[in-house]
Amino acid sequence: MSAPEPAASSSGEARKIRKIIHIDMDAFFASVEQRDNPDLRGKPVAVGHGRARGVVAAASYEARAFGVHSAMPSVTAQRKCPELIFTPPRFDVYRAVSLQIRKIFARHTPLIEPLSLDEAYLDLTDCLDDGETATQAAEKIRAAILAETGLTASAGVSYNKFLAKMASDQRKPNGLFVITPKQGPAFVAALPVRKFHGVGPATADKMKKLGIETGADLRACDPHVLAHHFGKAGAFYAAIARGEDHRPVKPDRERKSIGAENTFLADIFTPEAMQEKIAPIVTKVFAACERLRLFGRTVTVKVKYADFQQLTRAQTQSAPVASCDDLSHRAQNLLRPLFPSSKGVRLLGVTVSGFEEMQGEADQLGFAFPCD
Amino acid sequence: MKVTLERSALLKSLGHVHRVVERRNTIPILSNVLLSASGEGLQLKATDLDLEVTEITPADIGQKGATTLPAHTLYEIVRKLPDGAQVSLEAGDNGQLQLRSGRSRFNLQSLPESDFPDLATGDLTHAFKIPAAELKRLIDKTQFAISSEETRYYLNGVFMHVAEVDGQAFLRAVATDGHRLARLETPAPAGAVGMPGIIIPRKAVAEVQKLIEDPEAEIGVELSSTKIRFSIGPVVLTTKLIDGSFPDYARVIPTQNDKFLTVERKDFAEAVDRVSTISSERGRAVKLAVSDGKLVLSVTNPDSGSAVEELEVDYDGAALEIGFNARYLLDIAGQLDSDTALFKMNDSGSPTIIADRDGASALYVLMPMRV
Repeated sequence: MSAPEPAASSSGEARKIRKIIHIDMDAFFASVEQRDNPDLRGKPVAVGHGRARGVVAAASYEARAFGVHSAMPSVTAQRKCPELIFTPPRFDVYRAVSLQIRKIFARHTPLIEPLSLDEAYLDLTDCLDDGETATQAAEKIRAAILAETGLTASAGVSYNKFLAKMASDQRKPNGLFVITPKQGPAFVAALPVRKFHGVGPATADKMKKLGIETGADLRACDPHVLAHHFGKAGAFYAAIARGEDHRPVKPDRERKSIGAENTFLADIFTPEAMQEKIAPIVTKVFAACERLRLFGRTVTVKVKYADFQQLTRAQTQSAPVASCDDLSHRAQNLLRPLFPSSKGVRLLGVTVSGFEEMQGEADQLGFAFPCD
Repeated sequence: MKVTLERSALLKSLGHVHRVVERRNTIPILSNVLLSASGEGLQLKATDLDLEVTEITPADIGQKGATTLPAHTLYEIVRKLPDGAQVSLEAGDNGQLQLRSGRSRFNLQSLPESDFPDLATGDLTHAFKIPAAELKRLIDKTQFAISSEETRYYLNGVFMHVAEVDGQAFLRAVATDGHRLARLETPAPAGAVGMPGIIIPRKAVAEVQKLIEDPEAEIGVELSSTKIRFSIGPVVLTTKLIDGSFPDYARVIPTQNDKFLTVERKDFAEAVDRVSTISSERGRAVKLAVSDGKLVLSVTNPDSGSAVEELEVDYDGAALEIGFNARYLLDIAGQLDSDTALFKMNDSGSPTIIADRDGASALYVLMPMRV
């Protein structure tokens, strides 16, 4: 007999089944536009710029019926759906609505992990009222979102993040789907791996070559083989194939970088054009750094050429970026050797990373509030 | 609707209410200010759905009525009119409103007053009056500690409640961001006793602070568990309260700290400010090494060097080293009133109390940093 384990003796407590909800707003940007402009309701709408080189940031369900989807070039979208109405994005409004939604979440749990403006994981394990189920809470949240923002959301309810995310996709739009611990493994087994959140097209192709096309195939695969082919991610794939995902819902997801990029209407070639085009990008990035109070030591620039070939250049200095001028200076130093360019440049981007503030923050001790 | 009034009176009222209007709005009517002309004068009202400010200003009422106009545009127009000018506002029939003053004429697109939202106040259960200077002090000295962390929304305001100490009732204001805490108190005004503990949102607190212009005035306060209303002269501000429970803050205020240090407040703040120059990023730690009669402040920045400064202090406890965020120390030093600051410390990992040496009405608690 091994030594007694006092923690595990109170059976069940150690492995409490979690209650995770994934909330996903339906066609978020497009729905906001349809809400605020009655002329757009019931019509195929794309949020984005309709001009050459624009891309669709979001498509209404009416537009999706024509095969229009986000990240599609505007020109392609217009061809697929000649009646498509383009409306410029209003990010301030989306951000404001996003905050409204987060306030609704906060009434239910402090454990909120936003993935983007329109998606979040919530952990309600310890926050449900007496007798309330996670499904009821999810319905309450969806109803509150509709009542307070006039927008619909879909919810996935399950016992981990992976399954909650997969579940929210099942009854879109304006629906709710539950995957119980009993149903989890069977649900995953039937799912094609390319639909797994966290498995991109490249990984899916690689898996296909290994004969893995469904969750069941993935589960049958030796975890060591997965680890061999996919490294660290292999262990994650092996776990999710069993419906297991122990990742916690992290309320303050650390930001690792702040960046922005711009695609130009016409390709640029000269150093002067580079200087002109990089200025607004730098301003935008530094403003974001200031707002988030994150000042990194590493500056990365990205260049995409007319032939879509892409390269990045990065430099780390001993001191963090101190001002907009400083950032501009560092970005231009990295870009200067690349201009004049014989190939046209269609996109420039600037990213700041290597934040130090986190270390400082971690050193600050906090009050131990009783029920915080 | 038709009203005429003096530019300065209109500007003053607009100045009070238009700040409530968010610059960017998802709902068009919220960008507008409601103007209603009645026997009492011209009433202006602005809201962001959580907070509402109204003010009645004397005016010549030619015709009663009401409409709404874009708040910031109207404010800018009136601001730019010459001093001493008369302003007339007259509703047209095509949904426009004409503003005339001297030779200027503006036609402004209005939205119907029936669309303007109302903060249904419900019954306000408690009412009291408080001297403006007292209320301002409660706000001024706690505001800096309000948290802006959205996930802890119940810390995004000032907690007000009545506490009884040695048989006397005090009205207390408390704010914390989890790292520092500020607690102010004043003898509870009659009528406050029995009120529920409430959390007044940051924005409302800041507005009340700005609206208090005359420290000699009395401010009327009415509240329920969901709303609070301040009557400040002709201005009435009503706000929803934060719907959450403020943590039991008393538990983080230490009672057993026995290492007492007193220091000249101004000298201390200046020294902290000087040594923290060396830390290039914001919010870096300052180390306080205390021993008999001496306080050594130091900052070490591996990239740029180090700084040390020594101060004479009143201290006879065991030697102690403790780190604090320089910004937080300066914030608190800036709030203290007396010339001498009193630190009550325990150890380098526990909360420290900072207060005025004489007078217990303001109390600050600060968590250390690891150094």
